[in-house]
Amino acid sequence: MTAAPPMALLAELTYRCPLRCGYCSNPTDWRGYARELDAQNWRRVVREAAHLGVLHLHLSGGEPLLRDDLEDIAREGRDAGLYVNVITSGFGATRARIEGLAEAGVDHVQVSLQDVDGERGDRVAGVRAHDHKLAVARMVRDAGMELSINVVLHRGNLARTGEVIALAASLGAQRLELANTQYHGSALVNRAALMPARAQLDEALAVARAAQRDLAGRMDVIYVVPDWFADAPRPCMDGWGRRFMTVIPDGTALPCPGAHGLPGFAFDNVQARSLDDIWHRGADFERFRGTAWMPEPCASCDRREVDYGGCRCQAFALTGDAAATDPACAKSPYHTLIRDEREGPRDEPAVLHRIDTSRGRR
Amino acid sequence: MVPSLARRARVRWDAARDCHVLLYPEGVLVLTPEAAEVIERVDGVRTLEAIVDALADEHPEAPREVIDRDVRELIERLAARGFVRSEAP
Repeated sequence: MTAAPPMALLAELTYRCPLRCGYCSNPTDWRGYARELDAQNWRRVVREAAHLGVLHLHLSGGEPLLRDDLEDIAREGRDAGLYVNVITSGFGATRARIEGLAEAGVDHVQVSLQDVDGERGDRVAGVRAHDHKLAVARMVRDAGMELSINVVLHRGNLARTGEVIALAASLGAQRLELANTQYHGSALVNRAALMPARAQLDEALAVARAAQRDLAGRMDVIYVVPDWFADAPRPCMDGWGRRFMTVIPDGTALPCPGAHGLPGFAFDNVQARSLDDIWHRGADFERFRGTAWMPEPCASCDRREVDYGGCRCQAFALTGDAAATDPACAKSPYHTLIRDEREGPRDEPAVLHRIDTSRGRR
Repeated sequence: MVPSLARRARVRWDAARDCHVLLYPEGVLVLTPEAAEVIERVDGVRTLEAIVDALADEHPEAPREVIDRDVRELIERLAARGFVRSEAP
């Protein structure tokens, strides 16, 4: 059976980042994948993606602004008809740089915020960044591009969900992504410090729902319910090898940005095979595609084509078996792992372990 | 009323899926051939009435009032999601 073409390509141009957020989902051993594809290769990948049927190009990282060829790669995407999104911390961006992105054809810029004020935000980021991020968000609007504000929610900032929404609206964002922490990479290491109490989540959800009603037509408020508290897995990447393709800095092509941590896989590199070949014939893209690979209780579950068995990386991280049912599912035999942690005591004060991502190879 | 496509939305032919699509931040709207025919004429110059006239000329088999209703409905739906703006001429 021929797989439908992917809708989106996530191009993680670099794992380097001036910020050191304790919930970063990038691999904690990021240096092992840090040799970066050059612009010529990225531009070829972008063209191949468009040919394959990709419609959205997401230029991300790490911090994509650290690549001075970001504009060239973006322009290649726009010329190929792709909707070009840049996902950035905004750190170090000048007005000229932002205008350059617009000129290169970038449609949409997503700027991350860590909290609602400099003191709190900078404490999470590990660098002084917050005030400049606000300025960058305004520059994005001034340059005529679509603006999203992305905020990762966790125990330390959930109480300010309402303030986050007001701040994003005041910046002129058309879209606000409130994403509860997913426990991958650094976030898995730091989960004891990040995991909220259920009451906090309930309150934040109510605030977000109210804002969705009040701001309808002005700002889209996306609130991602955390799978650890939902008793249902999230349909990770909308299914393995179904809609999304990721290429990480060293050119490895993945069904999801976390999959390089899975053992027993030999993911293909875009320097050796075409994107089309990898998507349609790569063994690792086939491996969890569809429903045939599923164990019980997924195989006979009536939600198997709703959540696609959940997240393979989370299944592996918690059970040691990438093919297991995601423990976030209440039907998983490993669900107690998640239940015990989310109901468990919370340490005070929260201590975040940080990965230094500021120095690396090009 | 002169409808125009908002900057956040881009319409293009999708050869891989054999249909027109409207692209917007984090999303794709698959357009029916009929919707695509309408949106192709949304250029910030033509009035809504002119768009209906053009479609009525090309589809003499369809009653004008049906086309008129369908076009208005589509434009309203797209406007509600911020993909189309309408200005008085």
